[in-house]
Amino acid sequence: MRRIHESDATVDSGRDPELAAALAVLDPASGDPNYWFRFGSWVLSGAARELSRRRLGARLTVGDVLESWARALVPTAALVAALAAMLLLRGDPVGEALPIGVEELLVSEIEGSTIPARISNVTFAAEGF
Amino acid sequence: MSIITSETPSDAELVRRARKGEEVAFGLLVRRYQRPAYAVALSVTNRHEDAEDAAQESFLVALDRLDECRSPERFGGWLMTIVRNRSKNLVRRESLRDMDELPPGTRSRIPTPDRTAEAAELRGMLRQALGELPEVQRQVVLLHDLEGWKHREIADRLDLPCGTVRSHLHFARKALRAALRKVPGIPDLMRVAQ
Repeated sequence: MRRIHESDATVDSGRDPELAAALAVLDPASGDPNYWFRFGSWVLSGAARELSRRRLGARLTVGDVLESWARALVPTAALVAALAAMLLLRGDPVGEALPIGVEELLVSEIEGSTIPARISNVTFAAEGF
Repeated sequence: MSIITSETPSDAELVRRARKGEEVAFGLLVRRYQRPAYAVALSVTNRHEDAEDAAQESFLVALDRLDECRSPERFGGWLMTIVRNRSKNLVRRESLRDMDELPPGTRSRIPTPDRTAEAAELRGMLRQALGELPEVQRQVVLLHDLEGWKHREIADRLDLPCGTVRSHLHFARKALRAALRKVPGIPDLMRVAQ
């Protein structure tokens, strides 16, 4: 008895073969090998509605959105950076910047009459009375 | 029968996927725990039809409440708690209704073919012997010697200390062996079962 007690209570020696054989008759699959398949099918058919609700209810989280952005943004940024690096390394001048003074810049693009000259040709409404 | 191997997805992974409504993931959880759930339900109800009802309904309840499972890696233990509670409720309802004993298989959703008379006799004896054990001992011996769970797995999922599991297993086995020895011709019946 002591030997049995020690083997049961201190080490996990697995199933007791004699008891396991006897208890096997309590398994519904004994004599009906498809029992557990049908059991699972029954549960899944009962769960179909809730599973469908969960699929429909699955909403995008902020994390999901950021992740999807990052997925598109990171390769694009990498591509742009690579192109920029290529252009810089080629050293192809885009066009030399010409030195130009501020005053020249202010007047060089103005064509035609200046504002006071235009104003002299206008009859203001107040002068008509 | 240790079900979880390194190649199969963990409970936590399956729970995460099932929360999003993935049928395959939930199906794997059902397949992984249907037998232990039935064993625990049987240990409470001691009747096939009730155990089947309780185990199946427990999976549906678990799916409904999946977001409440705070430790998905401990899904098994959480499910077993649901199974135990559903089974106890079922027994309570049945006792309130004071139902007559129905012939086996009449209420089962899953019809099972007739089995041999000898196996039926052994089943009856075992149920009687199991019925005389405390509930926790029935759970431990069924999970260990019917489902093949290790002491550690049972301790984790029933939330019991490992030493307590060993002790329950020892006393349950002792009682079952004694009960089976009293029955004349039981070795023959056990050969039938094998």
